[in-house]
Amino acid sequence: MSSESVIREPLITGGKTVHDVTEDISRRVEEKPTKLWMLAMTISLGLLAIGAYTVFLLLWEGIGMWGLNKTVGWAWDITNFVWWVGIGHAGTLISAILLLFRQRWRMSINRAAEAMTIFAVICALQFPILHTGRPWLAIYWMFPLPNTFGSLWVNFNSPLLWDVFAISTYFLVSLIFWYIGLIPDFATIRDRAKNKISKSIYGALSFGWDGAAKTWSRYETVALVLAGLATPLVLSVHTIVSMDFATSVIPGWHTTIFPPYFVAGAIFSGFAMVLTLMIVTRKVYKLEDYITIQHLEMMNIVIIITGSIVGVAYLTELFIAWYSGVEAEQYAFLNRATGPYWWAYAAMMTCNVVSPQLFWFKKIRTNIAATFVLSIVVNIGMWFERFVIIVTSLHRDFLPSSWAMFYPTFVDVGVYVFTFGLFFTCFFLFAKFFPVINMAEVKSIIKTTGEKAK
Amino acid sequence: MSNTKFILGVYEDEDILLSAITNIRTAGVKIHEVYSPFPVHGIDDVLGYKRSKLSIVAFLFGVLGTSLALTMQIGMMGVDWPMIIGGKDFIPYPSFVPVIFELTVLLAAYGMCFTFFIVSDLKPWAKPRIFDFRITDDKHVMAIDLDQNKIDVAKIDQILKDNGASEVNKKTFDEA
Amino acid sequence: MKETKKYWKGLEQLQKTPGFEKYANKEFAQELPLGDSDGETSRRDFLKVMGFGVAAASLAACETPIKKAIPYVKKPVNVDPTIANYFASTYSSGSDQTSVVVKTREGRPIKIEGNKLSSVTGGGTSAQIEASVLSLYDQERLKGPAAQGKGVSWEELDANIKSELATASGPIYLVTNSLSSPSTRKVIEGFKNKYASLSHVTYDQNSVSGQLDANLTVFGKRALPSYDYSKAKTIVSFGYDFLGTGVNTPLANKQFAESRRLSASKKEMSRLYSFESILSLTGANADYRTPIRASEQGAYITSLYNVIAKETGGQVIDGLPSIDNQILSKSANDLLHAKGSSIVVSGSNDANIQMFVNAINIMLGNIGATIDFERHQNIRSGDDKAFGQFVKQLSSAGGVIFYNCNPVYDHPLGSKIAASLKNISFSVATTDRMDETNSLVSYLAPDNHYLEAWNDFEPVHGKYSLSQPAISNLFNTRQVQDSLLSWADVGVNYYDFLRINWAENLASLGKKSILDFDAFWEKCLHDGVFELETVSTDEIDADLSGLGKAAFNITKPSSFLELIIFENGTVGNGIQSNNPWLQEMSDPITKACWDNYLTISPKQVEEWGIELGDMTTQMVNLTVNDQSLKLPVLPQPGQRYGTVGLAIGYGRSVAGKVGNQVGFNAYPMINVDEGGQLDFNIYANVTVEPTDEVYAIAQTQTHHTFMGRGNVIQEATLSEYQKDPQAGRHMPKIATSEGFKKPTAVSLWKGHQYANHHWGLMIDLNSCTGCGTCSIACQTENNISVIGKKEVLNRRDMAWIRIDRYYSSDSNGDSYADMEIAAENPEVTFQPMMCQHCNNASCETVCPVAATTHSSEGLNQMTYNRCIGTRYCANNCPYKVRRFNWFKFHDNEQFGDNLAMNNDLGKMVLNPDVTVRSRGVIEKCSFCVQRIQAGKLEAKKEGRRPVDGEITTACATSCPSEALVFGDMKDPKSRISKMLQIKSMEKGVEAQEPRAYHVLEELREMPNVWYLTKIRNKDEKKEAANAHS
Repeated sequence: MSSESVIREPLITGGKTVHDVTEDISRRVEEKPTKLWMLAMTISLGLLAIGAYTVFLLLWEGIGMWGLNKTVGWAWDITNFVWWVGIGHAGTLISAILLLFRQRWRMSINRAAEAMTIFAVICALQFPILHTGRPWLAIYWMFPLPNTFGSLWVNFNSPLLWDVFAISTYFLVSLIFWYIGLIPDFATIRDRAKNKISKSIYGALSFGWDGAAKTWSRYETVALVLAGLATPLVLSVHTIVSMDFATSVIPGWHTTIFPPYFVAGAIFSGFAMVLTLMIVTRKVYKLEDYITIQHLEMMNIVIIITGSIVGVAYLTELFIAWYSGVEAEQYAFLNRATGPYWWAYAAMMTCNVVSPQLFWFKKIRTNIAATFVLSIVVNIGMWFERFVIIVTSLHRDFLPSSWAMFYPTFVDVGVYVFTFGLFFTCFFLFAKFFPVINMAEVKSIIKTTGEKAK
Repeated sequence: MSNTKFILGVYEDEDILLSAITNIRTAGVKIHEVYSPFPVHGIDDVLGYKRSKLSIVAFLFGVLGTSLALTMQIGMMGVDWPMIIGGKDFIPYPSFVPVIFELTVLLAAYGMCFTFFIVSDLKPWAKPRIFDFRITDDKHVMAIDLDQNKIDVAKIDQILKDNGASEVNKKTFDEA
Repeated sequence: MKETKKYWKGLEQLQKTPGFEKYANKEFAQELPLGDSDGETSRRDFLKVMGFGVAAASLAACETPIKKAIPYVKKPVNVDPTIANYFASTYSSGSDQTSVVVKTREGRPIKIEGNKLSSVTGGGTSAQIEASVLSLYDQERLKGPAAQGKGVSWEELDANIKSELATASGPIYLVTNSLSSPSTRKVIEGFKNKYASLSHVTYDQNSVSGQLDANLTVFGKRALPSYDYSKAKTIVSFGYDFLGTGVNTPLANKQFAESRRLSASKKEMSRLYSFESILSLTGANADYRTPIRASEQGAYITSLYNVIAKETGGQVIDGLPSIDNQILSKSANDLLHAKGSSIVVSGSNDANIQMFVNAINIMLGNIGATIDFERHQNIRSGDDKAFGQFVKQLSSAGGVIFYNCNPVYDHPLGSKIAASLKNISFSVATTDRMDETNSLVSYLAPDNHYLEAWNDFEPVHGKYSLSQPAISNLFNTRQVQDSLLSWADVGVNYYDFLRINWAENLASLGKKSILDFDAFWEKCLHDGVFELETVSTDEIDADLSGLGKAAFNITKPSSFLELIIFENGTVGNGIQSNNPWLQEMSDPITKACWDNYLTISPKQVEEWGIELGDMTTQMVNLTVNDQSLKLPVLPQPGQRYGTVGLAIGYGRSVAGKVGNQVGFNAYPMINVDEGGQLDFNIYANVTVEPTDEVYAIAQTQTHHTFMGRGNVIQEATLSEYQKDPQAGRHMPKIATSEGFKKPTAVSLWKGHQYANHHWGLMIDLNSCTGCGTCSIACQTENNISVIGKKEVLNRRDMAWIRIDRYYSSDSNGDSYADMEIAAENPEVTFQPMMCQHCNNASCETVCPVAATTHSSEGLNQMTYNRCIGTRYCANNCPYKVRRFNWFKFHDNEQFGDNLAMNNDLGKMVLNPDVTVRSRGVIEKCSFCVQRIQAGKLEAKKEGRRPVDGEITTACATSCPSEALVFGDMKDPKSRISKMLQIKSMEKGVEAQEPRAYHVLEELREMPNVWYLTKIRNKDEKKEAANAHS
């Protein structure tokens, strides 16, 4: 069945047997939390607490606690939202698209990547709720629920409403995709569990999985179909997010190039974030044999490609602005590059377009330290991209009388910190209590691509 | 108080397992089920399982999602309470596309997954029959139900051994 | 066998008394008062009383006005809940008096509007007038009389004061602002007769004493003439801001706008020249504006005089500093071509200069044509010299009565007055709130607010205006005239006094039309005004003999730093400093609020090394003689280099919690000579040292040029317009597969047809003078929050209608950086901007919860209680007119400045028809939908369609220059349809008027607000740029 050529680099090194896989991965779940993990957890809980305080201020006093004004109605809130959603693209993309393309190197990273996706989307979801003036109503008025206002429904013309559907669908589908993948591994842990509690917990989590061939064959179909559904979904999510801007009239927002450009950007930032986390995890959990340099290199290549696509998009925007002959458009883009927010534009250009090009050098793309640094640089750049798109477009649009500057307050920063706290808390909990690598899948390729096979 | 007796053939390697299955089935032994730690490619062919119909289920649920989305949006915007919004028509079809797509995917995915859970009897409170704790680790186990096979135990035992089973065990489940 | 039980209603029934039989089968023993059985209180009366009683209970003061008051519209005097009553009355503050109409709801005055019947105002208002209703509900008002700081009863107070008056040693002074009220003057006469030692001194905050003196010497009449700018073809103003802060600005705006209005039938308009140092509203509206030093004004006027004299054969005076300025000679030329139809005015308070101005007007034959001394104005009669004398002698006075005035604050000699007050035992003040003056006096006899008072006024000779209470006294205050009457033991109250006075002196004049006095009186009360067609007047003979002497007392041009002290268009002279609406109103020119500042020319900024940030500037030390202030500077394009400007009306110390310590007090800086003559221009000993202290000035607009965007501001010169009525229009075309098309021709949608009405607003950029009255009218009508300086600094001002003020730039448009810099002497364009009620509104499309939708009458509606506050609509509004409630602005001590929403008294001013918006929702202009609904209801009750003009928005009614016209574009006879030449299309409407345009037309939002191009009466474009020498 497997047409794996012998010359290709093994995906799993260190002569692992199927049993070793079980051991290496399950051990992390079974052993006592390490000091390092405790430290990491404390830090993320700290961030969460600090952030939570600013969230409280925001809810108690009002949106005025942010630096927004009559001209710039969105800034950090939606910037962070789009940023997190973008990050949330890698996981499902890796497991879905790479599954369809039978890219086996995905197998050792997709579990963690999907987890990251889900947590990133959870973080992203904070902003659509928190950025509204009356979140206590927004949280359910956003949905087409029967109501007593003379059955007043939602407005299906609004890209924000499309977002509601897109993001929640994406979240739910990613969640079930991830969970179905977890079931057999939970079963493994269940069967190894020593004490009653973990036996019953993992027993419940594993849904009574018994590894029967019949179930496996259904399981494979489900995985395949889910992948088929998730692939257009991944592409649709950021397409629809980009429509928040693309369908508006604001110069710098009103751009047909946005959907592909946003999707590329999302994959770009998503892979960068996966890299950042992977490099840490493999070190901490000594998973070098599962997440090899080859894995990192593969992802770096994806980063060069998407990074270049994004770069081309930036230039296209400038060209179109000039070509359109629309005054407001031309000014908007000139103002981005040379106006009061030039520094944000410069940061975006260097981090997203220039720095990833270093990955053309094999030395750099196979160097873990360099990869780690660049992966973070890329995510800084992607944050600035959204900031540039949102703030510099709004702050000087059509009527010069309304032109204004935006200055963030500590609450702007605090709410961002809050989502970081949330993200890492979730991620470390996952890393401790869930198998960070898809054991079943890895086992299925040990024979063919493990070193033994060669 | 009935109880079911099984003979279990434990295999280390999936390729040996696959050939074993073919031989044993030709020998006329009915295999109750084969349990593995990971999907073994081609095992359903040799066991004579038909291709799963879950993809069709997914499609049907998808169709349901599409029609649901369409009727919901037309009903809410065009029928129940038409309002002039941005000078657009009361039923602005282009605006409906995103929600139609999302609901299609959502229902297809969830419809299929829950069907899968039900047909495979996967549920948090399920009490599975565990033939061997190593199934979820690194062993493949072939279970043969004695009640289904009128051949005597020793014979089956022998067939399994001949077909590369690393060990052969017996297991009895008491079903109240 | 059971017998049926029998119950009786009582012994009466048992005994069958006739009394019982009578009512036996009636439910009620008495006749029910069905129908209006007159005499008896009927059921309806009961309901009325109830409705009114409920209101009365809820409010401190809700009864029908004490005496018989006649409402403005045909409504019963009784208060009908939810039905507005309108009373004609007269606004009075300091020296200003204006006929107004007061809108009351459940007995509470909630809105002031212009009185369309008054030819004195022309039916317009000003920001101060609109805002004055809030000061009625100000907690800072005095709650009752007081003696030596202790509350007393009126009886006690009267007793004390009478004895004091009787025993006073030395002269007693009655200090007032200008009083145009005949009856009040009569009261004061009587008071004088009673107390011989009493003398009456008058002053005005922005004194025109010099002009009055000049008029006295030249025309023998110490009064201001009435000007008619509408008749003028050429207007030349030397530093007189008749549009912004002059005398009776509503009328000036109306007349000026009339002279500027253009149409297919009228392609001529007036030309305005302005020679001034600061950029005033008048200068901003001028076709030719020349920045000059204040000290040069005399020279400019005299040389203009000589030119005119030479041409008209007047007496040329030699040896005068002559100015060679092409604009000046141009203006002279135009004046000579417009003899009898031109006006020359000067803002100088120097009699010598005003002599020459009079002379010029005489030579041009404007007197009697555009300048009317028969109908002289009475609202400025202050005498600087007399007042100077009074201040000198005050310390030795036996007593002083301050009649509704606050000279300690608003007169340059205030500090001297304060000092002398210490050693005067007997001093009375009648202002209705604590201020710098009455905090130093011994007796407080607080007057009613003008909305609680009876009074009459004669702002213009022969044109009377009545004041009637729209609400009975909120506090234990007493009308000042009543106080004077009781102190003079006249034994009649002012209302009767008033009626008697009118019966004796005015009824006879009005007889022609009205038969008996009561009818006459009621008519006058109803109309609020009584204007005589003709006035008896003595022949005016001009005497110019004094010119020669005057010529040599005129200030010569100097080269020192000069300080110009002016009044701004928001808080004005400072009487209403405690009014947050005015404090937060952005200045028409600088767009700053909550502050005054030193305006300096941009050149000076570099010279003094002032560092400017986004909304931040630096403090400087300004020193004039012995006075000095540390205050921020604000660079002002158009300000003459070498001059600095400072507004009065700020820096109050005892005004109330809103007005205290806002800005800096400029009054003490005003120059006072030996004789007491005031000069608002200081020519010498002005020094400015920059400090490195940073200061933030809150501005609602920080970008000052329109970046040459033809889709926003569309303007042309008169000559261009006469050639092509569409001159200056920017007509975008959209490229389609079938070639170029008008934006309106490209659409994906069928569009919607409005069956019944289609409301629209037309804004004539040519008539709009940018005064900003509309924004305060809107604030009053629509309960718009005041958010305070800090939030304005955060760029969160809530104005529903704002006036965008754009300066031209000298850039030729090749670099955006240059276009951002305003010209040194810019052309100014004002553009009122509010929700455009787009038929294809981009805000509606993006709201996820459909909280903003379109009505079937073309209105863009905002549903507050559905809004969740995503602010997406605000982002996607290309006009940036949507406002967000960043905080809870009502009932929140953090926003205590928001008087109208933070205490029970203040809340009385809220318009009950308009929701107070909660935190976290978007709000915006609604085209005053509550007024539309009310109007439609009124029409429906009478079974007719609404008549054009009966439904209009607050901004449009308040606009003194009638630049805003609101109406139904579906009604072909409506004013707006006619002016725009509306053509009904199968999708919406189209304006045929060549000047009509939509802002940002290419976006195809298809607004219901139309603008008419700005036309400047210039011979060639951009002359202003190179005009200044």
